[in-house]
Amino acid sequence: MLKIIIEREILEYLKSSRFFIGLCLTVILVGMSTCINIGDYLQRQQDYLDAIQLLEDPHKTMIFRKPQIFSILVQGKDRELGNSIGINLREIPMRTSGYMGAFASQHYRYIAGFSAVDFAFVVRVVLSLMVIFLGYNSIAQERVQGTLKLILANALPRGKLLWGKFLGGLIVILISLTIAVLVAVLIMVLHPDISVDQALYLRIMAMWGISALYLGVFFALSLLVSTMVQSPSTALLILLQIWIVIIVIYPNVSVILSDHITKLPSREELNQRKNALFGPFEREYEQTRKANRETFDSRELDTAIMVKYVNVRAKRTNLFHQVDCDYSRQLTHQVHLAQHIAILSPSVLYDSIMKRLACTDIYEYDAFMQGVERHWHKLVEKERLRYEDFRAYKEDRLPAFTYQKQYVAEAIVQTISQWIILFLLAVVFFAMAHTIFLRKDVA
Amino acid sequence: MMAIVKREIQEHLRSMQFIIMIVLSIVLFGLNSWVSAKKYNEQISLYNRGLSNTKSWASTMSTGLYMRPSPLVFAADGGSIHTPPGYWLSPKGNLKPMSAGLHNFKMPFVPEMDWAFIIKVVFSLYALLLAFRGISGEKECGTLRMVLSNSLKRNVLLLAKYVSILLTIGIPLLVGILVNLSVISVLLPSAVSLSILPKIILITLVALFYMSVFIFLGLLVSSLFSRSSVVLLIVLSVWILFVIVVPNVSGILSDKLAKVPSEFQTARQVGPMIEEQIWARIHQIRDRVKKGELTDEQEIKRQSDLVFEQGREQLQNHNAIYENAMKQRARMARNLSRLSPAAQFQYACEGLADTGTGREARFLKDAKAYSGIYDGYILQKVGTLVGYSGRVFGTTVHLYGKEIRLMTPVPKQYEGDKSDFPVFTESSTDIQNNLQEASLDLAGLAIWNLILAMLAFAAISRCDVR
Repeated sequence: MLKIIIEREILEYLKSSRFFIGLCLTVILVGMSTCINIGDYLQRQQDYLDAIQLLEDPHKTMIFRKPQIFSILVQGKDRELGNSIGINLREIPMRTSGYMGAFASQHYRYIAGFSAVDFAFVVRVVLSLMVIFLGYNSIAQERVQGTLKLILANALPRGKLLWGKFLGGLIVILISLTIAVLVAVLIMVLHPDISVDQALYLRIMAMWGISALYLGVFFALSLLVSTMVQSPSTALLILLQIWIVIIVIYPNVSVILSDHITKLPSREELNQRKNALFGPFEREYEQTRKANRETFDSRELDTAIMVKYVNVRAKRTNLFHQVDCDYSRQLTHQVHLAQHIAILSPSVLYDSIMKRLACTDIYEYDAFMQGVERHWHKLVEKERLRYEDFRAYKEDRLPAFTYQKQYVAEAIVQTISQWIILFLLAVVFFAMAHTIFLRKDVA
Repeated sequence: MMAIVKREIQEHLRSMQFIIMIVLSIVLFGLNSWVSAKKYNEQISLYNRGLSNTKSWASTMSTGLYMRPSPLVFAADGGSIHTPPGYWLSPKGNLKPMSAGLHNFKMPFVPEMDWAFIIKVVFSLYALLLAFRGISGEKECGTLRMVLSNSLKRNVLLLAKYVSILLTIGIPLLVGILVNLSVISVLLPSAVSLSILPKIILITLVALFYMSVFIFLGLLVSSLFSRSSVVLLIVLSVWILFVIVVPNVSGILSDKLAKVPSEFQTARQVGPMIEEQIWARIHQIRDRVKKGELTDEQEIKRQSDLVFEQGREQLQNHNAIYENAMKQRARMARNLSRLSPAAQFQYACEGLADTGTGREARFLKDAKAYSGIYDGYILQKVGTLVGYSGRVFGTTVHLYGKEIRLMTPVPKQYEGDKSDFPVFTESSTDIQNNLQEASLDLAGLAIWNLILAMLAFAAISRCDVR
């Protein structure tokens, strides 16, 4: 019996204009956004490769951040966080900047207000709306038409009917989602300049999984509202208001609240902290600097003084950097707080998991910055070598910059709590729909 | 007609949707007032601090020019998070934006919840929800046939529906705005004055004008199709396109369409430019010193200063090329997004509220005019004008065994009395200027209204009422 209901539901959905228009819109948007984002990614990738070869700074070691291939599907923070950072003995900048450097790169602000349309965006906004549109009348419509009474007059348990409707609808949604994913993946795979390896397919499968779960939550919610109210139009209106709250208002409010709850230090406070931390070493620093200058001017190089000067400068930079790291952790904490406030918004959960899977979130950025710090320590070692053993210094090559990248399994494990919350939301909505449907008068 | 309007309004007012909308409107506008009051407070205190610093530390090396915050930031924020609070002006008209403050760059981007955003997203959707069943709903119930069997013209029916929806939507909008203004006047009495009232009224009227586009759209599609569910699906798709897709996708499209050099392309020219424009010429000076062609220390310094100064100007111009490229891209993105009435409404609100890019452009115009006065003052006090870009180059040459340090010249500080230091004042804008700024977008909204109204009237006059 369950199979018959599922088949009937699937057939009905597939025949409906709602499904057709929704699918067309999704495919067009996914196809268009993937094509545009591929062009953007390839341009950034080419710039990155050229930058490694061509951009040099005589006073700094330049490190460049590689664009993430999955920014094609989930832009996240990949584009806006900047792609280069220059370090030396005296400085580890607080954050990355554009290729033009911290000052000139800020002109990017002119276009910072335009966000991206990508696969994740289409699923989060457009497909979720289409799912609501598929599910809002699944029970309410049958009740209004009187067919619900007729169906339940047969020996069909109510629970089974609801399961049939849920599974039927879910299968149709998964068909739409799979088509959307296939369109995006095919455009990527068929592009001659994009190489997709097996690990990337794993990430795509994980993305498909979380998208399916996310849309399942919305379908369960639609079913719940549809069982609760009498008329389909009321169900749709309620669902659209909920959609606006979940997608637009709740995430926005969570950011505002987190911004107001956590107080971030000002630039002046950060400078004060840095000066206070370095205060005890200030005298030593000045003395060494003076001694170094004197040996330099007298042209009688004193290795001990020069190594000491390297050490004291490195200590200064390191202490300042610790203040910056602390500040960076506060920023991350503020982001996590916003995510915790919005923990009941499927949209925020979905967005956060997708960015993690695509390596376009702040976790990836923080890992990169940790890599920069490690690289700086190697730079200091090499600088010491310059005065301790010049021949070894000349032969020694600074190792290539690397940082710890996240495997897909790690990304899933770290976001498992968010997967569970999404799953629980779907279960709770369906359980509520089930309970209400069992108790509700079908007339 | 009045009878239909009344009946329609009563029907809308009785609906649960209306109550939800009132509640949502109060919550959103209330939240906006709380956040905006705090933000405006921070902006105005930064502005006042900046002004007093400039006054007490008047300098001939560089001076801070601060942008006066708009009290209407709650109506249209205009991307204040990315806008610098002011510019540093150094001699020779070199303007450098001040840092926009330490905002959390790791936070996901969410649009500011100002009036423009609330109306653009929430109220436009509400307008569609009220309008989509306007004709098709009556067709489905069979009442359209009955209504039109009386001596009632179809156009009048459509007009009545339109007016009733517009009036209904106006109620939660006005309630929200009143709540917003009340909270702001309590939290921040200095921000709300009679002088901003005309602008607030104008923005409210523009909001109704914007929602009218969606009402006409809803009624048009409703007249074309018999089934409300199909109508809703179509209007929601159009809404997604107008409110979400077009404004967002235009940013990345502008990258492709605006033929401007990318940041990397501009950045890769900096190194060779420094080498060619500065170091190659400095090497020439060094060679001339070695050959004995230059024997006077002052002459060597004069020539190197000239090289450094010209090199600085070249680099400054190069930076300006990149800045102009980004501005051009932004302009292109804004023009592309103007295809959507939602973006037109956003920019019209920014124009009227005196925020956003138009505001910054006007400030820069004033700053450039002031830079002439500033340079004149420096010439009068110091005697010479030396530009400054923040980038300093230096080297040494040896003349008869003596080491001469050659450095990028920097502006000199005048240590005497600076009580006559010229004060920077921004040109004040009146409502006419603001209207002029918003005129393009208002015209766009008018065109949308006109086209959709004509199509809606044409559609209802041709539609089958069965």
